[in-house]
Amino acid sequence: MTANNASQMAQPYVRSPVRVWVVIAAYNEASVIGRIINEVKSRGYTVVVVDDGSSDRTAEVSAAAHALVRHPINLGQGAALQTGIDFALERGADVIVTFDADGQHRAADIEKLVQAIRAADVDFALGSRFLGCSDGMPLSRGVLLKAATLFTQLTTGLRISDTHNGLRAMTRRGARIVRLRQNRMAHASEMLSQIAASGLGYIEVPVTIEYSAYSLAKGQTIGDALMILLDLFARRLYR
Amino acid sequence: MIAQTVISTLLIGVVAYAATERRRSPVVAWLSIIAAAAGLYCTWMPDQATQVAIWAGIGRGVDLVLYIWVCISLIVLLNLHLKLRSQMELVTVMARTIALAEARRQFSEKAGPRHASGGNP
Repeated sequence: MTANNASQMAQPYVRSPVRVWVVIAAYNEASVIGRIINEVKSRGYTVVVVDDGSSDRTAEVSAAAHALVRHPINLGQGAALQTGIDFALERGADVIVTFDADGQHRAADIEKLVQAIRAADVDFALGSRFLGCSDGMPLSRGVLLKAATLFTQLTTGLRISDTHNGLRAMTRRGARIVRLRQNRMAHASEMLSQIAASGLGYIEVPVTIEYSAYSLAKGQTIGDALMILLDLFARRLYR
Repeated sequence: MIAQTVISTLLIGVVAYAATERRRSPVVAWLSIIAAAAGLYCTWMPDQATQVAIWAGIGRGVDLVLYIWVCISLIVLLNLHLKLRSQMELVTVMARTIALAEARRQFSEKAGPRHASGGNP
């Protein structure tokens, strides 16, 4: 790391004019979304929640966010993230962070991502639980994620250690190349493919994932992994 | 002869359908055309169809035609699935446009002139 980069790393991002927007895609997360919004807001970030057609009180609880975008119907996490990214871009965000609504990410890690983007002068900072820490991750989930990472490495050429981590940051330029057409869970792989195709710089940042019974229930299974593979394959069959 | 004509008409219909789908889904279109061509060949060359069927371990030429028809049905089913996905993408664009339009209005009301440019509070 150069001295210049080191000095940038030491500067708190809040002193700079960087406008950081945190996009949270939420579907039936009324029981946890309020806490997540408050945690992120307390660190000075602008929060946009995309309520993906929830049938519970997610939208009402999310009124505490700076902005709330409501899908009229449930479309999927990928679609919700793209909507949030579009909204943040048109509102002038300099850095956009995607953050899961199930409470398994730490708001403190957002700063690491933003600083990594600035220090390394790249357009994407990708959170990695395997470089960082994953509290309470079941063995089966770890094996599944490792297999998914290997698949991504082989198909995209990206040298990454964690492929389906929802905590990531991107610059305005980076966000503009992201065009998610995979509405459901395959969006994470699709985004990595687009990063690889764009040739823009990226860096992995160690982050902590805190698994809970709630987040595990919402997480991916082997069946979901197969659906992701099918989605990625099917998308190649038509224009 | 009547059955051959009916089957051939249906298979030509499949080829025409595949041709119209060629731009949107070339893989499915080519699979359909190949299967339909094989079906036409088997329909009008029953002796050779039987030979091919024996070689393939099916036994009778008529069964081979049936199997090809099942393949065509599955390919068309796949095409319908892809069409549904394509329609879903259009629905997504529409839903996003509606959601963003409403959010813009609410955000402007909530943020007021101070945050209208999108800065951090």
